[in-house]
Amino acid sequence: MTGLIREIRFLSSDRAALLWLGIAVLVAALSVVMGLRETASQRAVLSELIEFDRAERAVVGELYRDWGDAAYYTFHLTYDSPSDFAFAALGQRDTSPWKHSIRALALEGQIYETDAENPVLALTGRFDFAFAANLLAPLLLILLLHDLRSRERTAGRFELLSATAAVRGSPWFARAVLRVGALTLCLIAPLWVGGLLAGTGASDLALASLIVALHLGFWWGVCAIADRFGWSSPVNLTVLIGAWLALAVIVPAAIKLSVEAAVPLPDGGDILLTQREAVNDAWDLPKSETMEPFIERHPEWADYTEVSQPFEWKWYYAFQQVGDQTVEPLSDAYREGRIERDRLAGTLAWLSPPALAERALQAIAGTGMAASLAYEQRVRDFHAELRAYYYPRLFRDETVSDASLAQRPEFGVDGALPPHPHR
Amino acid sequence: MTMNRILAIAREEIRLRLRSRLALYTLLIFAVLLTATSIATALRMSEEHRERSEQQALAEETFLSQPDRHPHRMVHYGHYVFRASPPLAMIDPCVDAVTGQSMFLEGHRQNTAMFADARASADLGGFEGLTAALVYQLFVPLLLIALGHGLIIREREENTLAPLLAQGVTGIELYAGKWIALAGVALVLLLPLALVSAAAVAAGGSMPASAGIIGLYALYLLVWCGLILLVSALVRLRAPSLGVLVLLWLGTALIVPRMAVESASAVLPIPGKLTTDLRMQEELREVGDGHNAAAPQYRQLRANLLAQYEVERVEDLPVNFRGVVAESAEADLTEVMNKHAEERMALEARQARFAETFGWLSPVVAVAAGSRALSGTDLATHHRFLREAEEVRFDFVQGLNRVHVEQLAYSVDMNRSIDAESERRTRMSAENWNVLDEFSFRPAAAGERLARAGAPLAMLFAWFGLLTAGGVHAARKMRP
Repeated sequence: MTGLIREIRFLSSDRAALLWLGIAVLVAALSVVMGLRETASQRAVLSELIEFDRAERAVVGELYRDWGDAAYYTFHLTYDSPSDFAFAALGQRDTSPWKHSIRALALEGQIYETDAENPVLALTGRFDFAFAANLLAPLLLILLLHDLRSRERTAGRFELLSATAAVRGSPWFARAVLRVGALTLCLIAPLWVGGLLAGTGASDLALASLIVALHLGFWWGVCAIADRFGWSSPVNLTVLIGAWLALAVIVPAAIKLSVEAAVPLPDGGDILLTQREAVNDAWDLPKSETMEPFIERHPEWADYTEVSQPFEWKWYYAFQQVGDQTVEPLSDAYREGRIERDRLAGTLAWLSPPALAERALQAIAGTGMAASLAYEQRVRDFHAELRAYYYPRLFRDETVSDASLAQRPEFGVDGALPPHPHR
Repeated sequence: MTMNRILAIAREEIRLRLRSRLALYTLLIFAVLLTATSIATALRMSEEHRERSEQQALAEETFLSQPDRHPHRMVHYGHYVFRASPPLAMIDPCVDAVTGQSMFLEGHRQNTAMFADARASADLGGFEGLTAALVYQLFVPLLLIALGHGLIIREREENTLAPLLAQGVTGIELYAGKWIALAGVALVLLLPLALVSAAAVAAGGSMPASAGIIGLYALYLLVWCGLILLVSALVRLRAPSLGVLVLLWLGTALIVPRMAVESASAVLPIPGKLTTDLRMQEELREVGDGHNAAAPQYRQLRANLLAQYEVERVEDLPVNFRGVVAESAEADLTEVMNKHAEERMALEARQARFAETFGWLSPVVAVAAGSRALSGTDLATHHRFLREAEEVRFDFVQGLNRVHVEQLAYSVDMNRSIDAESERRTRMSAENWNVLDEFSFRPAAAGERLARAGAPLAMLFAWFGLLTAGGVHAARKMRP
């Protein structure tokens, strides 16, 4: 115990160490503030959009008194609200869409659109807590630990200190524990404050703290191994930063390349072109060639497939659906490929602890690739609901009524599709 | 001050460095890393260039080979444009990964680009999209720090500084010699970049822009050499010198660029495209729906036309009124859409410029901005793509509307939904589809790109001047 107090005193007089710790607190606090600001602004954007969208639909609802027109002209907002932990790991939210407006036309022509941020900003990446904890903190830890022994060696006190210690190595161990602990605390304290402000659950915060601590523990291990070689401080630091470069940058880059080589994706351009051809060819084909594949998917409308006019809305929407059906194999392959890439990246991330920690934090925050794919699926489900709503009205040739319009599905309402079922 | 003495100091320094195994290994690792990322980036980008050019050709062929149709159906059939990456994207692909590569063009709408790589790639926490440009911008400085942090300190530690100065070597000579040694290593590291630039020029890239990129990175690395040497002259011990430099690197390479992003989006927020689109709807409704020639918005147009041709009924006009409405609505609608698109692009450009001013705080921000401007992969180039795509869209849609106006009789058009035969008569000959222009996206001319890189270059020159002045000052005052 007296040893620990001595070490605390020793740490508090080590100006370099205090500087690194101060930087850690500052960086973590800044990252939390900026993450909170970003999620708050995303929420504000969404609540404004939801309002706009509702008002717009009310206006459009008045304009068209024909189900075909109503379905054609009405857009429906879908969105993925940030979770209460998203502030700490913004993840995919700056490159993948979290809001999307769709209508009852063929979905494949719409689902890949992105309402993206300024690309120059998205490219650099955000300054969120995950960045501070996973990429910056290991460097700070390296700076804190790299000269624990070598400094004493340079000062000529190493032998003396080692010989007088009760247990061999113990003063070093206590010193290191104290520093790793202090750094972890410097990172976690701002996170908890941010979590309290954002209303994050304690279990999420505890889990995130555990991830941060384990990740720093790993880097402590790396520093301890480097220490065994008895290098001078500068050599030690150079080697450790090299290790950071390898594990935080080069290994992830190599994983990305190999994952993409191992799991090829169908080309996006092919999906679009196939879908468009299928939808447009329908105009020149006999109506039965559209209605037959449509009925295979929707046998309940088999009695309504008679199309006598050159243009009828039910036929129009049927070929929109058949267009989606035609491109389904490609589209499924594209989606499954992305899922498989994400799964493989998750496995290989064990080779790079910073990547693993990042993915873990994103998983808690619901901002990873998996969450982004899940949102895409919810958009698909909602589109299916829209079709299920319009088909009876189109096929039975009903008239538009306010009562009927009131039953139209709305994203995130009626409990059918909760706004963020992340976990 | 004699050149010989300076060169002798530089030679000695390099000889010593080469004897250190650690230095040699780090150099070797970096050489491999740079070569590997350069080749990987170059191969990927030239492959994508080929693929997208092929897709573009295919999209044009498909459009032109469409059968006879009602011209307005071709308006909705639409067209695709693909942004083929410019040759210099081999060096710095930059925004290419986050902006979509393909865009669907159709009547009455401006769509966004689709299929950004970033949305389909493995997600590994920040640096997985490593390119040669990023290695130069972020990590080569680390190597220079590892090699150079002790350049002057070593003379102190080995007690050779005092004898050197006593022998008549001036502080400036010593400083210059060390600088040349470190700068020499930095310039040798530019070799892979030079090779990729040569390949890019061979693939059709602009020679002045390529030379500009090499110059930009050379200047950038020299800024780091100046900084490293200055710290090495001011700090008396090796360990703190390394600590200070790593801290400076952490700040300039990792923290400031992201702070720039956060500040730009906080200070100059941009409403998303969905928000803008929804706000635009009211204006678009005032323009009217071009599908509905009977809409009140077109009464004036009808009256004008009837007066112009001195006829009583729309049926008697020598032009197809439905086509005229489609054409006029498209023009008005496009004006509204372009106004909002231009507003959005102006905001984005302001945001990017705001973020760029952080180059005064961090040379990493400056070099990144200069590099993407010169490579033709910056925001301005992306906007250029959006504008050119819009031009193609507007031209083919209006070309088709012209066919609708001039070749399809109004009476035939009005009866299109009676039966199959009437519908058949509204189909116009496929020869009309050649209203489509060939699309081939090229970045701005080299002169324009060099001009855009002007501000970042000025920042780097300022850094260089400041650090050199600081170095000269420190060298003059150098005492053992």
